[in-house]
Amino acid sequence: MDGMIETSRRLFLGATGAALLVPVIARAQPAPAPTPPGMGDPGPNRGPGQVVPFIRIAADNSVTLLTPVTEMGQGTHTAHAQIIADELGCAFEAVRVEVGQPALPWRRQPANEQSSGASFGIRFWHDPLRRSAAAAREMLVAAAAQRLGVPMAELAVAEGRVSHAASNRAVTFGEVAEAAAQLPIPAQPVVKPPAERRLTRQPLMRKDIPAKVTGAQRYASDIKLPGMVYAVARLSPVPRAELDGFDRASVASIPGVLDVVPLRRGAAVVATNTWAAIEGAKALSIRFKATPEDGLSTEAMMRTLRQRTRTGEAARYRNEGDINAAAANGARVIEADYEAPYLAHACMETENATARLENGILELWVPTQNQDWALQGAARGAGVDAAHVRVHTTIAGGGFGRRFMGEVSEQVAQCVRHMGRPVKLIWLREDDIGQGWFRPAAAARLRASLDAQGNPTGFNFRTAAQSIFAELRPALMARPGTVDIFAAQSVATDHRYRWGGNIRAEWARVDFQMPVYIWRSVGSSQNGFFVESFVDEVAHATSKDPLEMRRQLLAHDRRALNVVNTVAERAGWGTSLPAGRHRGIAYVESYGSLCAHVAEVSVTGNRVKVHRVVVAIDCGDFVNPNTIAAQMEGSVVMGLSAMMGEKVTLKDGRAEQVNFDAYPVARLSHAPQVETHIIASGEAMGGVGEPGVPPLAPAVCNAIFAATGRRIRSLPLADHGLSF
Amino acid sequence: MIELTVNGHAHRLDASPDMPLLWALRDLLDLTGTKYGCGIAQCGACTVHLDGEPVRSCQTKLADVAGKQVTTIEGLHPEGRHPVQLAWVAEQVPQCGYCQSGQIMSAAALLARTPRPTEEQVAEAMDGHICRCGTYQRIKAAIHHAAIQS
Ligand code: FES
Ligand code: FES
Repeated sequence: MDGMIETSRRLFLGATGAALLVPVIARAQPAPAPTPPGMGDPGPNRGPGQVVPFIRIAADNSVTLLTPVTEMGQGTHTAHAQIIADELGCAFEAVRVEVGQPALPWRRQPANEQSSGASFGIRFWHDPLRRSAAAAREMLVAAAAQRLGVPMAELAVAEGRVSHAASNRAVTFGEVAEAAAQLPIPAQPVVKPPAERRLTRQPLMRKDIPAKVTGAQRYASDIKLPGMVYAVARLSPVPRAELDGFDRASVASIPGVLDVVPLRRGAAVVATNTWAAIEGAKALSIRFKATPEDGLSTEAMMRTLRQRTRTGEAARYRNEGDINAAAANGARVIEADYEAPYLAHACMETENATARLENGILELWVPTQNQDWALQGAARGAGVDAAHVRVHTTIAGGGFGRRFMGEVSEQVAQCVRHMGRPVKLIWLREDDIGQGWFRPAAAARLRASLDAQGNPTGFNFRTAAQSIFAELRPALMARPGTVDIFAAQSVATDHRYRWGGNIRAEWARVDFQMPVYIWRSVGSSQNGFFVESFVDEVAHATSKDPLEMRRQLLAHDRRALNVVNTVAERAGWGTSLPAGRHRGIAYVESYGSLCAHVAEVSVTGNRVKVHRVVVAIDCGDFVNPNTIAAQMEGSVVMGLSAMMGEKVTLKDGRAEQVNFDAYPVARLSHAPQVETHIIASGEAMGGVGEPGVPPLAPAVCNAIFAATGRRIRSLPLADHGLSF
Repeated sequence: MIELTVNGHAHRLDASPDMPLLWALRDLLDLTGTKYGCGIAQCGACTVHLDGEPVRSCQTKLADVAGKQVTTIEGLHPEGRHPVQLAWVAEQVPQCGYCQSGQIMSAAALLARTPRPTEEQVAEAMDGHICRCGTYQRIKAAIHHAAIQS
């Protein structure tokens, strides 16, 4: 589930100071079920050769993994295939990966939803998948023992075969899979010890790449069903405004247009081809109901956020030591205000879905990050029972948090119901960006106290922002004073700086009717920028080297120290650079991983060039180092892109940036050379898809300060007249 | 009726001459490797070759391609083993993959013109493309890889 992040082990209520455990907590799974995790009823996934819920083995020895996780570019399907092949004892090439239907073992608790977010793809699923594969292997061995009439202990498994050395006989997985599937699933399967793992911790080639270089990969937007028609949405530019009405005659003369389907917040123009549908969507004369949000402007919203960093209620999630005494007794106090804007995901494949309704079953093809929300949306849209919906999760053209929403699933199902035939619905880029579920904007006020020697003695951190959960998971935020765990990211227990033992952290919840949700690294993308830029300020104010400053704040923590030391060493911190180049460093923990960047930057006039970024990540253990490197490279570019010029502003309730002409995204010539160093600390596995984003902006901005003496306290840099 | 040649095959399409090539390829010819990303010539996901030159198919009307040779990602090489495609696999470039057909078409056109492009020439040829997954470093490596191989 999106919300389960490590940061929330310890959160506090402001008013009373009483410890309050927020209901969504890392690894807060329900009490262990009698069967091992991931071994429940396969439900709608049941199929021939189903040995355990996640794994099917066909007579031809092919292994199908029905993974819970959506492949949206992060490489999880390849890593999952590595885990399964390794533990089962078959070739990596023999494993095919599909996404399973939403059913109990595929769902995460306590939300009881199948979803892909919070960098959980591998860190959460590694163990359940390995246990499932171990159980399947034990069942295959038991079936082989029966077939060969020998004791199980005399059998060995390798390359998809169970063999008996003494009699020189063997059976393939395929030969015994059906028999194995009839056996009880072992309650305590024994997984291979790390020393015997051969296919994990290996840079195997990604399974999905060959089809992605030939055009053969079918995304949901590429699906063509017999009798299918094409729909394009026309949605209200004010995200929450509902449909008032439209004039069918306005599109009647467009050749190919078949019909217009009313939707909650707009309409879909249906045609015989996409182009006609686009022409229709653009030409459609449509009216939306007025909403209180018609007047919403980010300018006013940002003013409110700034004000709320100073006044009004705030939920306190850290309060250690005595922050006021530290400030009063200190020789010096440093304060700064920071802010970050609303951001759009801008996945390259715009929101879309394809569906058909046949014999009472609604089949949905959708690139979703939340299969349950897609399923519920489709059931609503088609007016069928959820039990009659099948969700085919396609390879997604990006995700980044945008694809949690069930809007397109609901809309395509409405179209199918209305048209009585299969429909593919796509959103134009303008809606894909403009409809939002943006990363919230945030403002922050930071204060550090220092003793006479310049040593940090206290840290006070207060942000103001919308809540991620308030709208979509209201139950979690129902209690007044509850901290949204995303607001506290990287400043809660995942903030390891000591600050002399005096730390206070607060979040002022501000409710705007702006649709916000998760965006790659969410709160850490802002808090990381605020804190790491500020730490740099403190270092410079006390004439300390920024690396030394971090070492001092982390002196008590060997694991974190190792991360900053590794990145510094690999980047040659302190060594000379070509003329005009400067370094900046940042270290941010998120999603259970510790990540540090050193950026090498030059500034010529107002032009900033990021030449090189060295990344060190301690994600505990890992499956595929090449995928991790790819995620770090991609995270650096996404962090850079947001830092350079990304910002969504609202005027009269409408997003002012709805396509790439106004929402600038980083391009090839902006991309620095990224070097990734993975630290295998042996700690619990952390996430990889997101932790590489947060350190980028502060590392670069700290380098800009080193180059120019100019401190950047708000993003994007384009607002400061800087270009790239 | 519009007559055009796509990947060496002649087609007669009953479609509006105003229809962008992008949608004719995808919907009428089922060549879905060419992608929609923005519709305004900003992202490059829709890039195909027109008489060997990279063009944005979202901005190219069917009327403008009559009688010309269109090559899509599906027709770049009969077995999908164009040196650029092989380099893309060797360097493990794609993440979500959605932008990559367009990237590969531009890279192939660049290398056909300029077998040993400089860093600036690569940037000039590729900066019209967006990869939201941020695979640029590997794209650069793969272009270099393909240039050396050929
Ligand atoms: S779709 Fe043609 S350039 Fe983006
Ligand atoms: S690989 Fe995802 S957009 Fe380029």
